[in-house]
Amino acid sequence: MSRARLARYSLWQVRDFVMEKGISIVIIGLLWGYLQLLPIRRSFPEALTAELITRLVTMLASTLVLIAVFIAVNGLISTDRKQGYYRFMFAKPVSPVRYYGQLFFVHLAGLLSGILVLAGVFFAYAGQFNVWSLLLYTSLLYVALGGIGFFISAATKHDWVALAAVWLGSAVLRALYSSGQDWRAKAVELLPPVHRVDGVAQSLLATGTAPLSDVAWLAGYGALFFVMGLIVLQRRPLAG
Amino acid sequence: MDGVPAAVPRSEPSALVIEFRNVGKTYRSLLGNSVKAVEEFSLEVAEGEIFGIAGPNGAGKSTLIAMLLGYLRPTTGTLEIDGLPARTYVERNGIGYLSELIAINPKWRADRALVRFATLAGIPESQVATRVDEVIALLGLDEHREKKIKALSKGNLQRLGLAQALLRPERILVLDEPTHGLDPVWTQRFRGIIEELRSADRTILIASHNLDELQRLADRVAIIDHGRLQRLVSTGYDHEQEQERATRFRVVLASGEERMREAFPGAEPAGKGEYAVTVRSIQELNTSLAYLIARGAQVASVVPERSMLEHQFREAVGESK
Repeated sequence: MSRARLARYSLWQVRDFVMEKGISIVIIGLLWGYLQLLPIRRSFPEALTAELITRLVTMLASTLVLIAVFIAVNGLISTDRKQGYYRFMFAKPVSPVRYYGQLFFVHLAGLLSGILVLAGVFFAYAGQFNVWSLLLYTSLLYVALGGIGFFISAATKHDWVALAAVWLGSAVLRALYSSGQDWRAKAVELLPPVHRVDGVAQSLLATGTAPLSDVAWLAGYGALFFVMGLIVLQRRPLAG
Repeated sequence: MDGVPAAVPRSEPSALVIEFRNVGKTYRSLLGNSVKAVEEFSLEVAEGEIFGIAGPNGAGKSTLIAMLLGYLRPTTGTLEIDGLPARTYVERNGIGYLSELIAINPKWRADRALVRFATLAGIPESQVATRVDEVIALLGLDEHREKKIKALSKGNLQRLGLAQALLRPERILVLDEPTHGLDPVWTQRFRGIIEELRSADRTILIASHNLDELQRLADRVAIIDHGRLQRLVSTGYDHEQEQERATRFRVVLASGEERMREAFPGAEPAGKGEYAVTVRSIQELNTSLAYLIARGAQVASVVPERSMLEHQFREAVGESK
């Protein structure tokens, strides 16, 4: 019963994603992509080679997908809590755990649709490339970064800043300490595996494959935090 | 009245619906400071009751309601609805809830917001449009249905909030300051709607600053202050209690003012033909009024300066301080 009504409500969640995030992602992607591609297109007025297109996709996607994922997970739970929208929604016979669990996947579907639109434009402007690899990379980064974002959004009202701090902080701390031999080198291993993202992006977008251990680390870490986010939702009252 | 949800059919009605047992709520800051919002609060609300919660600002009313919806967890004690933890009950059955702060996404259209809430409430898809139309008509929102939430006035927003609470025939309705922002016409209509909603199967909780409203609607009122239950008042007329209390009335005479002080020696003029009088009992009031009328005076109105509930409220809140 609850699942059926939430499934019906997912159409509203899709609509909200498109209006509040999807359009922004596409506009930012188009503008940013155009700015990046324009000088290259001028330098190569003739058709681009497949190798160059792949390098361009990798260059654009590694940054753009990160920004898009940030936009997609921003305020996933915290906005309803900050604005008090939860008050009427969850007086209805609805579980917040299921509601936001579903919302996480609706946003993934919305994000993939947005990236697909951008890929289509790139496809028309620059030439063919492996769209499936791009969608796979987007999904992987969404689970990795979005899973952590989901947890942070369930736990705090200041999720965007906290997620950026965690992601960038992890990159900085890993760069500083991961090559050492002391306890700090071991401690940074517990941080989000941000150091694996670039390698996975390069490999996945260029060849369509990536080292399984890197993919498992990224997906597993994000999935673990997603589950922890669900537990926080179950245990922590919405007004708390 | 069309659009008012019918009573909910139940096979085994139980007498007790909501039970607070020694409930306490303490807010703690990250710096270690703590504030006790509710302390040792015990209360039982029965099925079929219209129950009022009154208290000054900061008394703990909103905290109690947030705990009842499961949006906050008690620090101590237990809170059960139909024998279930509050949040479990809400997730299984739902509660018709009107919050003091009407927080709906300002970008949503009013009617579409109701469709969303109806979907979440589990109203079958085939009935959603009809039900939304009914509550829109009931709350007089027809001309505002296509407006965005941000374009609604305070009164219309309040009516929209009430509309979403009435989408489904819930067994429990919780209304926090329901007439806040409503004009006198809609305040009156709201009372009519609540009276229509009264049924043996439905429990209605109303938190309000408006003691007159609670006096008119509620069967019992909990007066709370400093997070504690100060007094539990039945709003029916208590003859014995009233006998012991000196009560002030406003008496307005259409004629015969010269006889006023004969009937009420301590009467104080309070305007054109209007007097403030103090009596020890309803009997004394009636005897004095009969004296006036017998001598040709015409009484236009007699109104208590304070309702019985207001007396109780002032005593209770005064005592707690």
